[in-house]
This record gives sequence, C-alpha cells and structure tokens, in this order.
Amino acid sequence: MNGVTLSAQNLVKRYGGVVALSDGNLEVHSGEVVTLVGANGSGKSTLSKIVTGVVAPQGGQLLLNNQPVSFSSPLAARQHGIVAVYQELSLVPRMTVSENIWLGHELVSRSGLVRRQEMRDRTRALLDLFQGVMNAGVEPDTPVHQLAPSDKQIAEILKALSLEPRIMILDEATASLDTNQVKRLFELIGEWKKQGKGIVFISHRLDEIYRIADHITVLRNGKTVASAPVNEIPRRELVHLMIEDVEIARHNGSGPAPMQAEVSLKVENLNTRRLKDINFEVRRGELLGIGGLQGQGQSELLLTLFGAVPYTGSLTVFGRPVQLTSPRRAMKEHIAFVPGDRSTEGLLPVRSILENLMLPSWRSYGFPIRMIKARHDAQQAAQNLKLVMESLDAPVTSLSGGNAQKVVLGKWLLRSPKILLLDDPTKGVDVGAKGEFYKLLTELRNQGTSILFYSSDDEELLGLCDRILVLQDGQITAELQGESLTHYDLVAASMGSTGQELPYED
Amino acid sequence: MKTEEIARVPRTIEWSRLINRASGQYYLFSLLLLAIVVVINAQLQENFFTPRAMNGLLRTVLPSLLLAVGQAIVVIGGGIDLSVGAIVTMVNVILVTQMGADATAAEVWRAVAIGLLAGIAAGAVNGAAVAFLRFQPLVTTFATTSIFSGIAVWVLPSPGGAVPSAFMSIYRWDLAGIILPVWIILFLLLAWTFVRNTKFGRFLYASGGQPISAYMSAVPVNWIRFTTYVISGFMSALTGLAITMSIGTGSALIGLDMTMSSIVAVVLGGTALSGGMGGVFGTMIGVFIITIIRNVISFANVPSWYQVLVNGLIVMFALAGPGLIDLIRRRRV
Repeated sequence: MNGVTLSAQNLVKRYGGVVALSDGNLEVHSGEVVTLVGANGSGKSTLSKIVTGVVAPQGGQLLLNNQPVSFSSPLAARQHGIVAVYQELSLVPRMTVSENIWLGHELVSRSGLVRRQEMRDRTRALLDLFQGVMNAGVEPDTPVHQLAPSDKQIAEILKALSLEPRIMILDEATASLDTNQVKRLFELIGEWKKQGKGIVFISHRLDEIYRIADHITVLRNGKTVASAPVNEIPRRELVHLMIEDVEIARHNGSGPAPMQAEVSLKVENLNTRRLKDINFEVRRGELLGIGGLQGQGQSELLLTLFGAVPYTGSLTVFGRPVQLTSPRRAMKEHIAFVPGDRSTEGLLPVRSILENLMLPSWRSYGFPIRMIKARHDAQQAAQNLKLVMESLDAPVTSLSGGNAQKVVLGKWLLRSPKILLLDDPTKGVDVGAKGEFYKLLTELRNQGTSILFYSSDDEELLGLCDRILVLQDGQITAELQGESLTHYDLVAASMGSTGQELPYED
Repeated sequence: MKTEEIARVPRTIEWSRLINRASGQYYLFSLLLLAIVVVINAQLQENFFTPRAMNGLLRTVLPSLLLAVGQAIVVIGGGIDLSVGAIVTMVNVILVTQMGADATAAEVWRAVAIGLLAGIAAGAVNGAAVAFLRFQPLVTTFATTSIFSGIAVWVLPSPGGAVPSAFMSIYRWDLAGIILPVWIILFLLLAWTFVRNTKFGRFLYASGGQPISAYMSAVPVNWIRFTTYVISGFMSALTGLAITMSIGTGSALIGLDMTMSSIVAVVLGGTALSGGMGGVFGTMIGVFIITIIRNVISFANVPSWYQVLVNGLIVMFALAGPGLIDLIRRRRV
C-alpha cells in the first residue's frame, strides 16, 4: 500500500443558523493514529462526517495526497479508501452479521448471485480477530438485533475493515466496549498502522487517548485550536486546550445552599440496566447539577427517579422510603419531571396553552371541570412565568422556543412539586429566554424546591448549580462543589480523571 | 449407560435446532393458518381435494397472487402501494379497448405491450413521487389511485367490450397436465429465490429495514424504492392481463377492491408493514388463505354481508397475529 495523506483545511459547516464547524483542520498520514479531542458540541462529529462524505462542507477544502477532492456521499469517500466506523448507525437489525458486514459491497459471482458461503467464511475470519473477547455464539448467521451492544460495535468495526480502507475513522468506537475488547482493538490498530493504514480515533477517555495516539488534534467551539505530536501535549494541557478561558457568569446569586436543610431525596444503591450503584442526597432548596458527556446515563437517572424505569435500590423522600413504580406514583410524592424533547415529550403541540398548562392538574378541578377556576389559575401561572403570549387559547406552537419551555415547566409548577427533575431543558432555547429560565429556577430553589438539573451545556451547569455530580458509564465518578466547581474540573472529571489527579499549575 | 447418553445428546440438539429453525421462519404463523382453513374447507366441500377443484382454486387465485407479490416487494422495501387495484383496472380497460373481439394476433400483441407499459409507467409515477420527491407512500398512492381510475373511466366509460377467444384460452393452457397458474407460481418462486440472492435483494431488505443504515452503507436507497414501485406496477399490469383473459370483458371498477386484499395477503404472509422482513413465499400462502376463506364463506351459505364482516375480521387478525405470537413467546421466556 502506498503512503497516503488526508488533509482537511479550514472546513466550515453551518446547520441553519448554528455554526457547527467554523475552522476545522485535520491531517492524517499512513501508519499514524491521530486522536481528535473536544468537549460536547465542539464539532468533532461534524468534522468526521465531512471527511467521510456524510455531510457537505460550506467552506474549506479536503486534500488527498495534495490533490483537492470532494465527497458527495459516503460511497465517494469509500472509493477513495476513507471509511468510518459509526456508533451502531449503519447496521440493519433484521439482517445477519455477515449480510451487514458486506452490505453495499457484496461479493457477487458472474451470474449476479451473491456469494454467500464466501462472505460467511470471510466474516468468520473477521470475527476471529476478536476471538475470545466477544460473547459466545456470535456467528456470521446471527441476526444483528440479537447481539449485545458491544458485539454490534465490533460488527461495525469489522464492516469498516472489510472495505480494506486506507484511512479509517473510529468515532467513539470504544464507548460500548469493555476493557478486554478495547485492548484487542488497540492491538489490531497497532497492526493496521504497520500495514500503512491511517487512523483517526475519536474518544472522550483520556487514558485511551494517551495509550493509542501518535498525534493529537484538539477542537474547541468548531475550531481546531491545537495539533501536535502526543508528547508535546501533556494531559493537563489537553484539558485546558478544550475549554475556553472565559469567566463563567453565576446566575445563582444567593450563595451556597443551606447544608443543614432537610434532606428531600436520598438515593441509595440505585441500579438499573444502565446505572450502577448511584448514591446521593439532595436537600431542600438545593440545585444539584448532573453533568458529564452526553449519554452517560443522566436522562436514565432522572427517568428512574420519575418512576419510568425499573430499578433496584432504595429511595427515600422526606425521610419516608418509597417505591416509584410509575410516573403517577412519583407525582404523588410531589416529584415533577421536565423532559428534554419539548415537542414530543413535553407538549401537545396542536392544543392550546391553557390545555397544555392544565394537563397534569385536571384531576384536582372536579367533575365537570371548574373551568373558571382553571382559567384563573392558568392565567396566574402564565403571569408568574412571564409568558409572552397572545391568549391562553392560542396554540402552544405559536410560542417561541423559550416560552414553550416555560409552559413545560409551568404545567408541573401548578402542582407545586417539591422535587423537580430537569432533563436538558434549555436545548434550542435562545439566550434571552435562557436568562429568564435561570431566574425562575433560582426563585424555585430559594423557595425550598429541590432541583435536579441535567444539562449538556457545561457553562450553564457551572453557573447555576450548588453542586454537580458527574456521570460516566452510568456511574457517579465525581462530585464537584465549592472550590472544585470549575470548568477545568468538570471537563477533566467527564473524561475520566478527577481534578486531584491532575495538579492544576499555572 | 454412557454410550446411550452420547447417542441421545446429539439427537435432541438436532431436534431443537430443527424446531428453532422452523419457528424462526417468518411464515410459520401463515402456514398454521393455512392448514386450519384448508381443513375447514375440506369439511364443507367434499370434492376439495380433486384435481378439478384444485385447478379451479388455482385459476381463481392467480390474479390476486400476482398482485400480492408486487405489493410484498414494495412493503419489504419500506413502502406501501394503494394504487395497485387502480392499475389493474386501467390495464384491463386498455386491453379490452385496444383489442376488440376479432383482433388479429399482431393487434393482441400490440395491446398487451401497451397494457404492460401502462402498468410500468404508472409504477414509475408512484416510485418517482415516493423515492425522489419524498412524498408519503400512503398519500401518494392514494392520490394516484384516483388518477389511474380516472384514466380507466375515460378510456372505457361503461363496462363492456370483448377479447378474442384465442386470447382467453391462453388462461386455460397447460403443459404435461399441469396448468398455467402452477407454472407461473413456480417461476415466481424461482425468480424470487434468485433475486433475493442478488445485490438487489440485499439492498431491498436493507432499505426497508433501516434506510439510514443502508444509506450509510452506500446502498442506493432511492433507486431501490423507485424500483419496487415499478415492479409493483408491472405485477399489477400482469394481474390486469390475467383478469382480462379469465373474464374476457372490461370494467372501470374491476380491480378496486383488490388493493385491500393484496395488503392483507402480505400481512397474513408474515411480512411486517414496517418493512425490511418477510418474503414472497409467505405472501403466496397469505393469498391462498384469503381465497380459501372466501370459498368457505360461499359454501357455508351465509348472508353476503357476513363476507364483509369476515373480511374485516381477517384484516384485524392478520395485523394482530404476529404480535400475538411474540406475546406468547415472551410469556414463555
């Protein structure tokens, strides 16, 4: 195989008004592992999607061996030997492992028939690469929907490998693999390097990055801010490169929560399919943040506390042990949940603001419903929320994103909850509305409501919360408060090392 | 003792494997249902297993079968085609008006060619709208149903017309005592086995099963979708041809109620409406089930409105059946 160099220069990509990538640069050579590092939303995925032809850039250029190229589809990139391993995105559940691995590049005989046996044999040879670390019973003919998540991920890797790529992009391919599988993958990557493949490795785990990288490229807010051989970027430097040096505004003026206040919710040894041994307490009037990389079990934790996910372990609400087997039970314990996806989980889009606000509360308005009182209460709530609206009867879709989110919050506030669970509530909300939302949360907190707040926006968490629990792989890996409530500590903890392990030196 | 054990172990494994394999087939439920309706029919109709009755059944089944096979391919590819019945009608009236009772062989061939092309064109319209313009399959084919029916009424405003008797006799043709429908069914099964084992077959299941994954794997999803509708249009045209041969006249209403039964046959045959699974063999079983149930109703001497009721119940049963099986399986686990 001849040497190959892929170089992306000054790539720009906007989705609508949102700039995902403003100056993306990446260079990878044969026989080299480049790790691409960045915080949530820094543009890593966008950059890798451009390089593999999934999305088209609006500016900048791609060079392959110094020749400009552009890829109109994944197929075009593939024809140039550039292949990505996706996170379970490219498998068809109903088809077998072998069918999936060869999908799109089937081995075909001259008569047009698919050469099943040969594909099966070659699939077996590919599976043998991970022999001993996969679950038993994974055969070429096993349907993919029967595989464990880690085996699906391995099938994805093998699928990419079957294309004999010159450059392989592994986008968080280790996220669902266990230690032994990661070890085997790294051994294989070592071999592929020797064969002259270029590897782009995207990961959030610091120790993996330093085990495998030859070169590190760091993205921050859509820009490539550093690119250097691994020995020139020590660990603590890397975390600094990932975060912006701006003062984080405190939205929460009234100082730390009263630590002597009554414990409103106590969670002990909570386990679900995704969560492992969760233990924590929340007090009255405390705003507890839940942080970490996206998809580490934060939503699952909130849903569990709302009774929507089966669990084992013990929950205590205001000193009384409870079994939260359904959202209705949770509501009876004065727990409220504000979902992340407004349009599908939070609101009835075509119905009026009034109906949306009153939906969880109708039961307390008798039969037939005392409409005048309901209307009065809704009007009161709308005023408290400072809802900008035409009238209570306008459809909820006529509201702006921020105001619609207030309705989602308001419908639960009408039930005066004592424990409020928020699942990334400010996604897609404009800055002005966010500010009002923060004010509202702070008021609630000061009135004594306990708030559990998950956000994918680190700055928001740091600005609002009294304390932050960091989740990784369904476990609480760090608790930040007081001195350690900094962006640096949050990012470091999210990536698997605590602030104590990384001495902060200036 | 020891040898006995050794001898016994592999046998049990083989049995369980066989059962597993059979229960894993998507058409298991359909086969059971077919067995039940066959038994019921044989109770009511003494001569059911005679060659005469069988041939009659096969000739009745053929048009619905051709139609359902086309529908199955669309459904596997992740779509649905509500316009198949209208295409059947359109092809029927085109054939009748283009031929007349005393057409020459050349004129018959010409009419058949026009009919088939009209079916393919209709399928291409559906396919282009769904695959390239990204219209909803349900709405699109519902709309084109009106268009194709409109064309049919325009071509033949009132029922009538005739075709040469030589043309009709093709339908009663046989080879070595085996009648035409059997040969066609065998040919379709063979062709399907071939297609399923080509790239197209793999792409078809992938496009219906998880379009995004398929696209990511460089499968030309849009072209596959388009092709399924063209195939369905062609199969509808063949259905129109078969019906014209068997009844010898034309009507602008003839195929309209065939659409629903084609979809029911697909579902009864174990193909999920969500796409990506199932096949042609199961669909054929589904067609036989429906036809035999109709047969049973006509033999049971019940008022005709029962037929409507039973048809409705079949649809519900067909949609619930696979779910019921899953439910029972889950219980057992």
